[in-house]
Amino acid sequence: MTFQWIQIPYALLTLFIILNYGMLMTALIQKIGARVGGRYGIPIWQNYIDLLKNIALRSKISHGVMFYLGPVFRLTGGIGLILFVPTIYGSVMHQNFSFAGDLILALYFVFFGTLGMALGAAESGHPHSAIGVSRGLSQVTAAELPLALGVFAISLQYQTLNITDIVAAQQGSIFNWTLFTNPLATVAAMFAFVGTMMRAPFDVVLAPQEIPIGPPTEYHSSYLALMQTNRVLYPIAKTVIYMNLFFGGATSWPEFFVKIFAIYMVSVFIGVVYPRFRVEQSIQFFLKWGLPVGVLAILMV
Amino acid sequence: MLPQIAMATGFVLILMGLYGALTHRNILRMIVGFTIADTGVNVVLVSVGYLPGRTAPILDSAVPVADAATRIIDPVPQALVLTAIVIGLGVTALMLAYAYRLFRARHSLDISNFTELKW
Amino acid sequence: MVSAIFIIAVGLGTAFLLGLVKSDQKGFAFTLTVAALAVMTWIAYDWTVALSRGTVEPATILTAGTQPPFAINLHIGLAEAWLLTVINATGLLAAFYMRAALCRLGKGAMSVLLVMVMALSGLVLTRDVFNLFVFFELIVIATGGLVLLSEDARAVAAGFKYLVVSQIVSILLLIGIIFTYHANGSLNIDDIAAVPFGLQGASLAMFLVLMALVLELKPFPANGWALDIYESAHPGFSAIFSAASGTAALFAADKLVAAAGPAWLPLMTVIGLFTFLGSNVLALKQDNDRRLLGYSSVAQIGLVFAIVGQRDILGEGYLFVAGGVLITHAVAKAGLYWISGLVPGRGLADWAILRANPVLVFAFASFVAMLVGLPPFPGFYAKWDLMHALAGSGRFWIMALILAGALVEAGYMFRFFGYAIKRETQERFPGFAVDKVAVVVAALAAGWALGFVWGGISLNPNLLTLVPVLFALLFIVLEPLPAWVKNIIAIVGLVGWFWFRMGNYDPLQMIFAAVMLVGGAVILIASFYEHGRRIGFYVPTMLMYAGLALLIEAQTSFDFFAAWEVLTIGSYFLILRGRMGEPHALSYILFSLGGAFLILAGFALASTGVQPFELKSGLSAIAEASVPAAPWVFALLAVGFMTKTASIGLHIWLPGAHAEAETDVSPMVSGILLKAGLYGLFLLVMTMGRQKIGSIDLTEVLVWIGAISALLGGVMAIFQEDAKRLLAYSSISQLGYAVFGLALMNHVGWLLALMFVINHYIYKSMLFLAVGGVYKRTGTKLMYKMGGLITLMPFTFVSVLIGIIAMSGVPPLSGFGGRWLFYNAIMASDLRLPMVLIFISGPIGFLYLFRLIHTIFFGQLKDEHRKLKEAPVWLVIPQMMFVLALLAFAVLPGMALQKVDAYIGTFFGDQPLVWSGRAITSTYGYWSPVAVMVVIGVIFVAVLLLLMSMGLNAQKVKQFNIVFSAERPFKPQTTHFAWNFFAPYRKAVGFLVMPLVTTFWGAVTDTLHSTADFTRRLYTGNGQTYAVQVLVFVVAVYLIVLGGAQ
Repeated sequence: MTFQWIQIPYALLTLFIILNYGMLMTALIQKIGARVGGRYGIPIWQNYIDLLKNIALRSKISHGVMFYLGPVFRLTGGIGLILFVPTIYGSVMHQNFSFAGDLILALYFVFFGTLGMALGAAESGHPHSAIGVSRGLSQVTAAELPLALGVFAISLQYQTLNITDIVAAQQGSIFNWTLFTNPLATVAAMFAFVGTMMRAPFDVVLAPQEIPIGPPTEYHSSYLALMQTNRVLYPIAKTVIYMNLFFGGATSWPEFFVKIFAIYMVSVFIGVVYPRFRVEQSIQFFLKWGLPVGVLAILMV
Repeated sequence: MLPQIAMATGFVLILMGLYGALTHRNILRMIVGFTIADTGVNVVLVSVGYLPGRTAPILDSAVPVADAATRIIDPVPQALVLTAIVIGLGVTALMLAYAYRLFRARHSLDISNFTELKW
Repeated sequence: MVSAIFIIAVGLGTAFLLGLVKSDQKGFAFTLTVAALAVMTWIAYDWTVALSRGTVEPATILTAGTQPPFAINLHIGLAEAWLLTVINATGLLAAFYMRAALCRLGKGAMSVLLVMVMALSGLVLTRDVFNLFVFFELIVIATGGLVLLSEDARAVAAGFKYLVVSQIVSILLLIGIIFTYHANGSLNIDDIAAVPFGLQGASLAMFLVLMALVLELKPFPANGWALDIYESAHPGFSAIFSAASGTAALFAADKLVAAAGPAWLPLMTVIGLFTFLGSNVLALKQDNDRRLLGYSSVAQIGLVFAIVGQRDILGEGYLFVAGGVLITHAVAKAGLYWISGLVPGRGLADWAILRANPVLVFAFASFVAMLVGLPPFPGFYAKWDLMHALAGSGRFWIMALILAGALVEAGYMFRFFGYAIKRETQERFPGFAVDKVAVVVAALAAGWALGFVWGGISLNPNLLTLVPVLFALLFIVLEPLPAWVKNIIAIVGLVGWFWFRMGNYDPLQMIFAAVMLVGGAVILIASFYEHGRRIGFYVPTMLMYAGLALLIEAQTSFDFFAAWEVLTIGSYFLILRGRMGEPHALSYILFSLGGAFLILAGFALASTGVQPFELKSGLSAIAEASVPAAPWVFALLAVGFMTKTASIGLHIWLPGAHAEAETDVSPMVSGILLKAGLYGLFLLVMTMGRQKIGSIDLTEVLVWIGAISALLGGVMAIFQEDAKRLLAYSSISQLGYAVFGLALMNHVGWLLALMFVINHYIYKSMLFLAVGGVYKRTGTKLMYKMGGLITLMPFTFVSVLIGIIAMSGVPPLSGFGGRWLFYNAIMASDLRLPMVLIFISGPIGFLYLFRLIHTIFFGQLKDEHRKLKEAPVWLVIPQMMFVLALLAFAVLPGMALQKVDAYIGTFFGDQPLVWSGRAITSTYGYWSPVAVMVVIGVIFVAVLLLLMSMGLNAQKVKQFNIVFSAERPFKPQTTHFAWNFFAPYRKAVGFLVMPLVTTFWGAVTDTLHSTADFTRRLYTGNGQTYAVQVLVFVVAVYLIVLGGAQ
């Protein structure tokens, strides 16, 4: 597959859909949480309001070039991740720029935004930013481990690193999904999923109580707008990968919306049930539980 | 029988000398011990060259050159002994000179007092 | 030709003549002495040259006009002539050296010296056993006299102890001689019949003679008397005692051993090895320079004696090997004793005073290299041939013991050298006497000349005629020039050599050559920042590069090993230059030499002693023939190579060595030097493939080692506070990846390893230069003491930024290519578990890299750094070149890899990667570097424009414009979050960084040292004890022989 100019508007369309879906879905989840807690909750369009407000804010300061670029890195990471992965299986319009690279590209590009954001936050000189980065990086190295093993297991299973091929292999029946053909790998990957969605019990990185919001501490106004945009894009981008690898992908937008929502809710459920881990606890958790499952997964393939 | 006795005596002298040299701490006594051992070595040397019933290896009218080989004892060990004696003398003299210098340095002739150099 | 007997005649005659000289005419007496020694030396030298050229035949000299055995006869052959030259030249130089002492004691002392040299020569020449005894006693008496030349009062006691022991020796010798005579009816050595190994009749007599000669060689542990003399005698005399006496006594012993017959050789081997090992271990604990050299002397003579025990297998090479070691030792040890006479203090660190004179430092280094058997000296060639002979006849234990002993010796000699280079001494600099320095220089010249001669005789190439080596040595002459001139010459040399040889390289060699030579030249650009002359930098640097250049093109195992040793020496001296480099350089050289010895053993084993051994075809051949030794060859070579790649277990030298090195040296020893090990491993797996010991596949072991290195190196890097140490540990990790890829034994795995060769060179060199620049400005390597330097050092920041993005493997930079290849490689492999470790170590890279950039460039700027400037421009230039190279390599990896890919394909017969246009397709996936770069670039710019469109009104604020802990902070120290940055990580996985390996190696050295300290108490200093030890030694050997004969 090679590049054609028409892919650019197609990709923008994908982006547009996912952005709006993300805005609404995260608000919806907030609202569900509130209703469960007996509160009324935010309006469904709250994210739009926040975004517009942040964009409109006039006061703005900068701690330096990297600080300025931090959110740019962050959002580039989110958008890039979406665009390097085919969104809808079988659709010509929503293959995005997946010709640039395979699954490995997606897996490593995950770190692009994280790293850039960390660099930007670091320049603010605020210790909370640095502490947040330290916690976040420490945790993510352990949390991503089961995913890496799970991915290795399924790429061995399907003998390919091509995401489209992996999705294609899961078509036909629900029992062709990796979830059923290779449950161990799926479980291992889901450890990572829960661990990196920034929800309890693994949300000490942004820990609202001890350190006011971690890495983004000093970010405000339009920087924050970019980061908010990323906050809704990025979880979906990641969930898309999980969906493609383990849950049969999506052949249409409705299927996409449902699956993303369902997978996303996994981390939400776990988040509301469990209290928060300290960083070293989560590292040990992943090493103690996630790692063995992952190792089993690659041994069983 | 004679050479055996001589040789045994020589070895006894060597052992005595060595025993003396290694058990006495006094440097002069050690030197005496070595001299005794040297003498023992010389006796052994001579006894090795001795052949029963033969005469001294001096070629004169009594022993014509023609049948010397069958009538004299082996002259080589005797020559060796002479050299060994001379050398032994030299070494003994040197040791005595050393003993003098050691005594002058510390007013002691006890070998166990000269152990600064070790390990 | 002047008859060799004139050596004796002139010596003896002049000694008597001196008696006629008036005792106040000291100058005249000295002139006479020197003239006599010069004539003696000349005669010996003349014979040496003539015999070597073959213009004369070996001669037998009759005395008293009678044939032996009725008169004494002398014999001069090639070996005798060489040794006579060594002995007489040592005597001559020693006379010059001891002029003051000789003149103080007058003509008597001079005649004793003449008698000494004469007697030593006689010992070498004579073919008569009793004459041997006479010369021995003359040596004893002369030694007794010359010991008194010393100004050290303790020497008198030492001399007396010597005499006591000599008495026992002469008793044994005389009795042995007379019974030997009794058995053979002749005193002539040539008439002595070979006797069986045992203790009956003639064998017992031979045993006594041999024991007497052995005792003269100062066998461990019956050698306390000799050590006391070494410690206290005049260093000029110690040189004779070690170089000349040892040599002569050894030759005498050799004559008798030859006569006794081959049955006695194993006994000689055992005694020799025991002495070699024992003395070397004991030397570890010595803190007196002369005593230390004494131990080393004893050990070396033991080594030669062990070689004498191998004469049955050395055949024609016997003289070459034994002579090589013996003569090198003589020259080196004489030289070292003469240097010790220039040093006023007796502590090892007191040799630091030598730094006042670079020539002496060079001499010291050369002598140490000679003793340890490094190229280009004779000991090196000798060691090589010896090991091949031993391997050829299956004497593996002897190989192992000799190499172990040599390693211990290298340990204390290089430690000693390190003290001289790095320590401070309390002694006042006395000014060096010119004549004494001249004597040392003469020994130095002799050593190098011998190296040339031995190289010429050797079957293998003469290292001193190889262009790269000569080019490196040229810098000795160029030392007076300013550094920048030398730097230009060096760069031109490196690039020129690459250009000149480029046509000969295959694609694999090309990659390594480009990284090592051109890459080396790029790093040298940074060296322009140094001013002055920078004495002692370019010689080792260029030696290292010479070794690397030769390594790549090595055809035979000898070429390879010699190149390996050359680059090791060069890099050792480079690392030693670092400010706190002393202990690290020592552990580097020990690991390297240990590795080199394993390589040597591996090659010897592979070749079964047959030289020359073609490297590639030879190794392939033994692998194909599945020789039983093949897997062991593989294991030995692999471990040897891994000392350079610093794989886990052999890595402890690396962090210190890289971290303490100078700014431009760190990238050389990290970015380039480590690749030598990888090149070796490449050759190994290419030629030998998979090897199995039992059911264990050795390449799988390598996979594990690589994976563990990758993981633990990374984890250790996380917890470093020192920026350069962090980078150093990261090298362990990175090289672990490369070893891992290589050991996967598939096409993509090898490509992965090569990608790491290139990538690691670029980003590690860049980062080391960047951090070095920061160190230059801030004066610290501790990251928490820095912070906020981004605006002050923007270029340095950019290179670190690009460096860490590339290294962490995040797209779009070149590190990602490595990760992509990695996945394709492991997919093609059957292994599973080791991959887990690599998966863990991957993200760990982020931790230490982020820490590096954050704590140096971000966070709070320290008050004392507010006026810092950007790093020196010469440091920045190569960094910017590296940045460009990284970007280019990221977009167009095919430039470098496509040809190699095809080349590797010829080994596996597959072509898993398809290079179409700018995209790469593998069996499993695809990757289009250009597309990745463009997509990311476009998105990034678009988002940036978006941000800018939301207003460009951002107000730049000052440093403390934040609120923290309910106040506005004002102290950078308390606001910069940097120290123990990953505290939670330490809590979680700190157990992984327990210094088990360091503890292990520490325990090894501690055990050796405490053994040494315990054992050396044998030498109580009491002359009687020594005498008893001598007797006990004889009895012990007697019992061993008794046991052995039955």
